[in-house]
Amino acid sequence: MLDRKKAPQPEEIKEIKFVYPEKIELSESVSLYWIRNVPNSTVRLDFYFDAGTIRSKSLVASLTAGLIFSGTQQKDATTFHNLLDDSGAYYDVGVSHENAVVSFYGLNDQIIHIFKIFEEAIEKVIFPQSEFEEIVKERKQKFLVNLEKVGVLTQREFQKKLFETTDYGRVSEIGDFDEVHQAEIIDFFEQFYKMGLMKVAVVGNLNQPDMNYIVNQSKKWCVRQKPIFNDVFLKNSGRIKLDKKDALQSAIRIGKILFNKNHEDYISFSILNTILGDYFGSRLMKNIREDKGFTYGIGSFVSELNNTGYFGIATEVGKDFVEQTIQEIKKEIELLQTELIGEDELELVRSYLLGQILKSADGPYATMDLFLSVEQNGLDLRFFNQYIEKVRTINAEELREIAKTYLKWDSLIIVTAG
Amino acid sequence: MIHFERFELSNGLKVLFHKDESTPMAVVNLLYDVGARDESQEQTGFAHLFEHLMFGGSVNIPEFDTELQKAGGENNAFTSNDITNYYDVLPAINLDTALWLESDRMLSLAFTDKSLEVQRQVVIEEFKQRYLNQPYGDVWLLLRPLAYEIHPYKWATIGKEISHIENAKMEDVRAFFSKFYVPSNAILCIAGNFDLDFVKNRVNHWFGSIPAGNKPLRKIPMEPLQTEFRDLSVERNVPADAFYYAFKMSGRKSEKYYVTDLLSDALGREKSGSLYVKLKKEKQLASEITAYITGSLDDGLFVISGKLSNGIDFKTFDKELWNSLDEIKSSILSEIELKRLKIKVRTAREFQEQGLLNRAMNLCYYELLGDAQDVNNEHNLYQSITPEILHQVAIEILQKERCSRLYIKSSQHA
Repeated sequence: MLDRKKAPQPEEIKEIKFVYPEKIELSESVSLYWIRNVPNSTVRLDFYFDAGTIRSKSLVASLTAGLIFSGTQQKDATTFHNLLDDSGAYYDVGVSHENAVVSFYGLNDQIIHIFKIFEEAIEKVIFPQSEFEEIVKERKQKFLVNLEKVGVLTQREFQKKLFETTDYGRVSEIGDFDEVHQAEIIDFFEQFYKMGLMKVAVVGNLNQPDMNYIVNQSKKWCVRQKPIFNDVFLKNSGRIKLDKKDALQSAIRIGKILFNKNHEDYISFSILNTILGDYFGSRLMKNIREDKGFTYGIGSFVSELNNTGYFGIATEVGKDFVEQTIQEIKKEIELLQTELIGEDELELVRSYLLGQILKSADGPYATMDLFLSVEQNGLDLRFFNQYIEKVRTINAEELREIAKTYLKWDSLIIVTAG
Repeated sequence: MIHFERFELSNGLKVLFHKDESTPMAVVNLLYDVGARDESQEQTGFAHLFEHLMFGGSVNIPEFDTELQKAGGENNAFTSNDITNYYDVLPAINLDTALWLESDRMLSLAFTDKSLEVQRQVVIEEFKQRYLNQPYGDVWLLLRPLAYEIHPYKWATIGKEISHIENAKMEDVRAFFSKFYVPSNAILCIAGNFDLDFVKNRVNHWFGSIPAGNKPLRKIPMEPLQTEFRDLSVERNVPADAFYYAFKMSGRKSEKYYVTDLLSDALGREKSGSLYVKLKKEKQLASEITAYITGSLDDGLFVISGKLSNGIDFKTFDKELWNSLDEIKSSILSEIELKRLKIKVRTAREFQEQGLLNRAMNLCYYELLGDAQDVNNEHNLYQSITPEILHQVAIEILQKERCSRLYIKSSQHA
């Protein structure tokens, strides 16, 4: 007779194999990382440029990223996009504080065509005035739409407070759209793209001549010196309330400046973060969604920069539940500081995290992303062996100490909008 | 090419198995043939509310998530107008845990009054977060009832209105379960590095004893052919005027479906689609413009949507849009342009097939359509499209009398 009450005994994950990317040096400080063992003909090329938002005044970095294929003397923007289409490529450009990443998704028999289109754009783009004006108008409209979202409003204030006095804390204002000029884009591009390549990541089964071509032709864009990033940040805290009339829900952001993967407590803190808010069974989800029904979702996260990192909690709740939600978040954090986490919960989180690492190392694309997540902090995949070791051995006392040290309620920034 | 094996249990559960030797992970994907189109119009949003309740405990297992997390796995689900799809991703060594969990909740649910109350509240917050508290968030709540008069596609999966969720009763929810959550109404796919005999053994072990039940009969009123242009204009507190033109198109099983999909790429793809080039780049009437299809099983919608450039009025745009559509209907696409569309389809497809979960989901979905094997034929269907066929479908679909138009007018300017 089938006993459905009895759970199948889960087996422990014993070994996680990490495939190390090959490393090809483009210059003293710039490397190309390559995972070539891919089961089909897909290829992803990622080019990391030192062209993040901290490198310029407001809007310049994001507008430049949007104008890479805006045209040359010979080819207009539509021609460029048709060429990209002809090669079957999709591309996107992501701009963050510390970099701009241009990614291409294509098939290996087309990859050289794709790269050559990119090369032509980088070498010859002239940022036509008409294209510049068009994107400014388009982005301005999107900006206004975004300001209608409570999540965006809190995120902006959170970022300002978190990174106050640094370039990381700058957010765009509506007036900035009238004060940005084509010449600034051109200058920015010269400095931070044509001499701004920091890293290349390639996943795909390319033949050697194609790879050699990409390696050789990318060298000319390498940064001349290793880029420098800010390493002094204030430790701000305190409450900010924003009004958004008629909003049905309010957004909440809570967090603080912390550290990145190079800090000795990073791994322990990240395990604590999982318990607090980083999976479906977390304390915050269980309390604020699954017990109270205040929200569709709540989560906490740890995010890293070159020289620091930060912790945050984000949610959107019914407008009448804001203060109660904040009180419950406070309660959950204080519980972690005063009571020991039970062995059952700790065991569950151990198994869950090991399963997630196994998944994060499954397949060439996941593995490259996992690698890139540590490479930024000067580490490699051996970091995850330490991580696994820590997941297996950490105890409740240690987690309580971590909560006491890093999650003091008074040390947190709290932003609400609604 | 996605290889798979197929077998069926005596209770009617259809099972697909996809072997992948390269992964240490496994996917258990379970598709139930029930969506928002199966709801009555007095109780909309039920299929989706129900999806939430499926995590509220089953007859022998109080907490679904906890048990899966203990086995190193995670899961999620989604509801569409056509289907409800649940999936578990976990280390392959713990496949049994996922089968145990999914079979128990297919057998019988045991959620409490409290879980109904809480999930009702969670769904109401989801309603607000996704549909009401976002600029342009209520577009589909307006566009669906405009485009559909009798087919249940006239309401969104979240429901027609919040009150339907507020009024959901335990007995209604139970009845929904016993009607739709039976083995013969489900398709299961197991993907990972296993042998077929092992998979058969484990699936039989956990699902074999679930009573068969009856596959529910579906009596959905088919939408009559639309013969008149419909329009609706509303004012909202948003920064820009937005437009939505929804044309009727054929359902998922029609061969024309693929042609229409390609047509939407030709017209609306970002940066180089013909409407993008004409109305945004050349005439600067729109700040955004795109075209896409809803992809539904029954007759769906081909949508052209976007926002007006500042200072442009709806009338000017509307006239130019219809001119552009007339041009499209009166000319045949070049071979170069068609080749372009097809190679992008190929790239997208190869990337999609990278993921184990995608493969498992696709197999279940194609089995629902009729035959999982067709997933491997889709590529050929796209590649065999000719400029002439595309032209015919454009003429058929892009007619004013098959169109429902929604304007969202900004109350912020003027």
